[in-house]
Amino acid sequence: MGKITDRYAIVGVGESERSRNSGTTPLHMALDAARSALKDSGLNAQDVDGFMSYNENDSCTSHELATYLGVRPKYVKDIHGGGSSTEMLIGDAVGLIEAGILNTVLIFRSMNGSSGQRVGRGYDPDMLQGALPGGSYIIPYGSASPSQWFGMFATRHMHETGITKEHLGHVCTSFYEHAGRNPKAFLHAKPLTMEKYMDTPDISYPFNIHDSCLELDEANAIIVTSAERARDCMSKPVYIMGMSARQCHPHAHYWSDLDQVASDFVAPKVYESAGVKPEDIQVASIYDCFSWVVLRQLEAYGFAPRGEVGNFVAEGNLRMGGKLPTNTAGGMLSEGYTHGMNNVLEIVRQIRHEYKGTDRQVEGCEIGICTGWSGPDIAGAMILRN
Amino acid sequence: MEYQKPIPLKNQDNSPYWDAADRHELTLQRCDSCHEYAHPPGPSCAKCGSTDLSWVSIGDDVKATIYSYVVSYRPFLPGFQDELPLIIAQAELEKVPEVKIMCNVLECKPEDIQIGMPVQMIWQDIAEDRALPQWKPVDE
Repeated sequence: MGKITDRYAIVGVGESERSRNSGTTPLHMALDAARSALKDSGLNAQDVDGFMSYNENDSCTSHELATYLGVRPKYVKDIHGGGSSTEMLIGDAVGLIEAGILNTVLIFRSMNGSSGQRVGRGYDPDMLQGALPGGSYIIPYGSASPSQWFGMFATRHMHETGITKEHLGHVCTSFYEHAGRNPKAFLHAKPLTMEKYMDTPDISYPFNIHDSCLELDEANAIIVTSAERARDCMSKPVYIMGMSARQCHPHAHYWSDLDQVASDFVAPKVYESAGVKPEDIQVASIYDCFSWVVLRQLEAYGFAPRGEVGNFVAEGNLRMGGKLPTNTAGGMLSEGYTHGMNNVLEIVRQIRHEYKGTDRQVEGCEIGICTGWSGPDIAGAMILRN
Repeated sequence: MEYQKPIPLKNQDNSPYWDAADRHELTLQRCDSCHEYAHPPGPSCAKCGSTDLSWVSIGDDVKATIYSYVVSYRPFLPGFQDELPLIIAQAELEKVPEVKIMCNVLECKPEDIQIGMPVQMIWQDIAEDRALPQWKPVDE
């Protein structure tokens, strides 16, 4: 892909209701989210000729979604994926539009993540042994939950950099504070103090329940098109300045080279492709399946030097008025959970200044970063502008 | 009582490791081209792609230090419910520090586990013909 800066835009975002028990199927929720994104953009369903989605065998297909929007699309694509997949599919959409194959792409993630197949609860042990690379070296030792996998990475990094449990708490309390201003956040009415955080027993040390993302029933959708076509849309386009993605580490659970996470490779590339530096970023959506993941990414993306990331969050820099207001709707820790897509919706709304005049708006933010992370092995990121 | 926890499933790529474990011996895959160890083992080297692979015996007296850990307070798999809190750790091998083996640290209180702690491999017999490599703290 050549230089794409400012030539593509996100023109619509939308979501379904979020709940612990939707009482409906991922297809119904995906339709709600897609219709909401279409309404936001002012486009008709027939204007969309590409549909894409990612899932963990827990969703409907892009073809089903298109069918029940009454569209016969040129192209559908469903990938197996979680964190980072939103950014990677946006990259694919841009490539296909650039090649002249498609005009406008709708990307969605829909999952009954609480009432259906639940990530944090673990899976059938024998299925997991076969499904995970090196699974026979993990499952017999009782390690089957993401909180245990990510915790293993976190403990080592915390040991090396001096990050403490209280630093993890600052990530959580900052995001819960944002959820307190967002009536649609699932934990809107569940404020979290540092005292309460520190008193909460661990699930998998170093993590307690607040360090872990919510598991909810929810769908999100976004619409990507060219800057040219974006002018015909009803919404204020948010332009893509740059993107990058990377897969590394053959076996994430055997993180033998701790100094290397995929975000470290993605960071210089995403800044280079957007033509900006970390200090130009005014608002952030940082993938937050667990609190610690935010800290490691702040380090990777150059917002604070290694060893100083704990202080950076303790100084309140993730909060409104801080140096880098982050996950301003509450993030996956306290707003909702769609493997990262809800964080994309929020940064688009911030950069559009959709909350103008309220205490939720990051004042005058023009440039934002959105990151995806699926472990030390996979990362994707994009930089967006007004 | 019969062993309730998941038993390591042998397959085409890992069976030399688990066959050796059943004999109370640690065996690791190594690449003959780039000389890197490949753990977990695979059909070819994950570092360079070479198919020239050998199995190297590390023996039955294996020492390591704790590289990282979690203390798990919930059973996410069957069989672990009576052994909480459970220490799940990565052991960095003394002889091959680039290899980290995921394990449980037995005979260790959660408040005592720490990174850098020396541990010794022990062999837990889990079925008539199966054994699981585990670790315990080294007596000072």
